[in-house]
Amino acid sequence: MSILTLERAPADYEVLPARPSSFSRFLRETWLLIARGLRTIPRVPTRLSDVTIQPIMFTLLFLYIFGSAIHIKGMTYQNFLLPGLIGQSLAFGVIGAGVATATDFASGVVDRFRSLPVTRLSVICAQVVGQVIEQILGIAIVAGIGLALGWRPEHSVTTVLALIGLILLGLFAFTWFGVWLGMVLKTSDAMQGIGFAIMLPLSFLAGTFVPIAGLKPWIRVLAEWDPLSSIVASVRHVAQGTNATGSWQLTHPVVSMVGWCVLIIAVCVPLALRRFRTTTAAG
Amino acid sequence: MSTRSSNELVVVTHGLTKEFGDFTAVKEFDLEVPSGTVVSLLGPNGAGKTTIVRMLATLIKPTSGTAEVCGHDVVKESDTVRSLLSLTGQFAALEDNLTARENLLLMARLRGYNRSAAVRVTDSLIERFDMSEFRDKLVKSVSGGQRRRVDLAASLVVQPKVLILDEPTTGLDPRSRQVVWNTIRELVGIGVTLFLTTQYLEEADALADYIVLLDHGRVTAAGTSNELKARIGDQRVDVIAADVAGMEELARLLSTNFEISTSSEQRMISIPAPHDVEDLAKVSAALRGVSVEIDEVALRRPTLDDAFLALTGQPATETKHDEGRRTPELEESHS
Repeated sequence: MSILTLERAPADYEVLPARPSSFSRFLRETWLLIARGLRTIPRVPTRLSDVTIQPIMFTLLFLYIFGSAIHIKGMTYQNFLLPGLIGQSLAFGVIGAGVATATDFASGVVDRFRSLPVTRLSVICAQVVGQVIEQILGIAIVAGIGLALGWRPEHSVTTVLALIGLILLGLFAFTWFGVWLGMVLKTSDAMQGIGFAIMLPLSFLAGTFVPIAGLKPWIRVLAEWDPLSSIVASVRHVAQGTNATGSWQLTHPVVSMVGWCVLIIAVCVPLALRRFRTTTAAG
Repeated sequence: MSTRSSNELVVVTHGLTKEFGDFTAVKEFDLEVPSGTVVSLLGPNGAGKTTIVRMLATLIKPTSGTAEVCGHDVVKESDTVRSLLSLTGQFAALEDNLTARENLLLMARLRGYNRSAAVRVTDSLIERFDMSEFRDKLVKSVSGGQRRRVDLAASLVVQPKVLILDEPTTGLDPRSRQVVWNTIRELVGIGVTLFLTTQYLEEADALADYIVLLDHGRVTAAGTSNELKARIGDQRVDVIAADVAGMEELARLLSTNFEISTSSEQRMISIPAPHDVEDLAKVSAALRGVSVEIDEVALRRPTLDDAFLALTGQPATETKHDEGRRTPELEESHS
């Protein structure tokens, strides 16, 4: 290794441009940090598989294994399953967002960003937007495979727009939840473990794969009030025009999904911002 | 501190204190650092070094007291302070899944350069830090020493008023440590004010103009390297014999020419060596042709333990409450 020579240092520095207004700084910094996150996706096999292989696998497994045994009255299993899988993908966004956040904090990268003259809000916004983009990729893959394998949603413009709106709202809410949880749990292992322990049962209860109406009475009560049930029912209602029966949140799926999402956002955004301001990771 | 007359004080702290719950990590820390100096905070794990660094870098707020960087308060004018200093933390915080060059580009862009200026700054850093051979490798796949270089370069995409290096060589092999030291010396050469924390007396001695010894959040001693050494004692030549009888014979032989102290349990004779290698050579010459079996002859520098022993009468102990990773919930409730 050669001896380093830095004599030329002062001359090598460029003049920094004048600092723009705080809002355009915020947008610029947020974009730089989002780009950083997106650039790493194809380089991390586990993250890449989270948004590609895993949804493909889920779709194929459930469609062909459960699908062979489950018969839904009045609709194909594709039309029942795909809205469910999309709802599940929204909810599993919690885990992806939490793992990414915990990893960034533990590695000290967040601290480095915070020691820069960068608007602090941009660091956390970039985390959220980056994760939402990653999850959209996953959901697009699920939807694409579904369509190729016989999923036939209603295809009016309003249906598509309503579906996109609901998906974005759900992603936004669950991602903030995940970012907050990632900061609370601090390690990606804990986030992964606890995230699945919470989301997997909720997702199975939510009428994702089999209709809630056929469940045993005591478990049916749980399922009818599982927040994820409203999300699955809502996506299914918009995509296929079906109406569920049962609890209030199932008979008013869109209103209750929007309600749950707004509630999650109202609780998690302030919690996450507060946590972000005060939590520091590496010593 | 007034080792150098300068009208510009870059870092000034008054009564800087940080408590995490009942635990006082840093207690009334006072320091003045003139422009262009290298200050080293020296102490064992948990002494409060990193807590001080993190308060200066605006990552945590002091419980009481003040800290200013170039006259700007770290709490009230944190954004300005952040634009004046660069922090290289303990864990070489780089994005593992970006290449060395991409990491530097990102840091340059975040500092405010436009794309083309960022490319120019990055490429000149790559050249100066001799990183061409691994510039396009993902950071997760480069060696520890190379990673440290990327890390240092990332702090130098602008020329900071203060460069804070938190244990820059902890965990590095000796060769990489030398490379980092050379880099630091070059930075000092161009007039960067450096704030360095370390657990190694040797490192503080090699690099710093002014050393602050910390223990349990309090300043134990402070001064130039020479001032501290005068209090700690010089280095020495240790001669270790194969057995106690041999040691006694050697002691008789050496005591005619040298001032010796002996330790029977360790079969060791110690001779002060103010003139480093010269004294080692003299001792070696005196031992030439001696029939006694000798296990080891070595020049030893005082360690951090020796320093603490000399200055506090107690060996350095790691504080049980380790600052850092394991205690964010404590930081949280109080910042």
